[in-house]
Amino acid sequence: MSRSVTLVGYAVLIVAAAGLEVAARRRGSATFVDALTIVLRWRAARLALLAAWLWLGWHLFVRVDWQ
Amino acid sequence: MHDDGAGEGAGRVDGRSPARAAATDGGRALHVAVAVGLVAYAWWAVGLAQFSVRATAAIVLAGAAAMAVGRRRRLPRRSPADADVSGIAPWAVLAAVAGAWQLAAYLQHPRADHPTVSSLANELLDSHPARAAAFLAWIAAAWWLARR
Repeated sequence: MSRSVTLVGYAVLIVAAAGLEVAARRRGSATFVDALTIVLRWRAARLALLAAWLWLGWHLFVRVDWQ
Repeated sequence: MHDDGAGEGAGRVDGRSPARAAATDGGRALHVAVAVGLVAYAWWAVGLAQFSVRATAAIVLAGAAAMAVGRRRRLPRRSPADADVSGIAPWAVLAAVAGAWQLAAYLQHPRADHPTVSSLANELLDSHPARAAAFLAWIAAAWWLARR
């Protein structure tokens, strides 16, 4: 039950992101890439995001136990 | 004057000058070599022992290298007037909700009942080919992010 609720939550977030992207393209407002590009204008945000991306790679491909 | 395959047009390769054709073919060969090298590296890197220093170095250094290459080829910046900062608000709200949902799952146990994005990714990346493909996607995204 809890697992289903959690998974439905993730699914809703994905659908919301897709809906936001479609709406942004129709209205001419900021798409996901536009928003990311705006955020990356700030040096601190840029460094934080790149560091977070490196951490994610380490987390997914090094830290986990595949066995 | 147009070349019609005679006179100064002789020696052209697919309508290109020999020098240009050689440069294009050389660039294509380089791209193929880089792609093959990346696939081989990904296959090797995700097969290293988990939690090891070698695996950490292989993954993190590859990501940092991709970022360095992307940074050298940054896209031209748009002027601040081109981008409406208020337009990011809906995305910021969505990111905050996603972060809160992930945090709520992370703080609850057992993990099987409260999966995080990481635990779901672990299930999806169970096979070596899937891990290698995900690693390549991660490298490509690192390069793409650094270009922004």
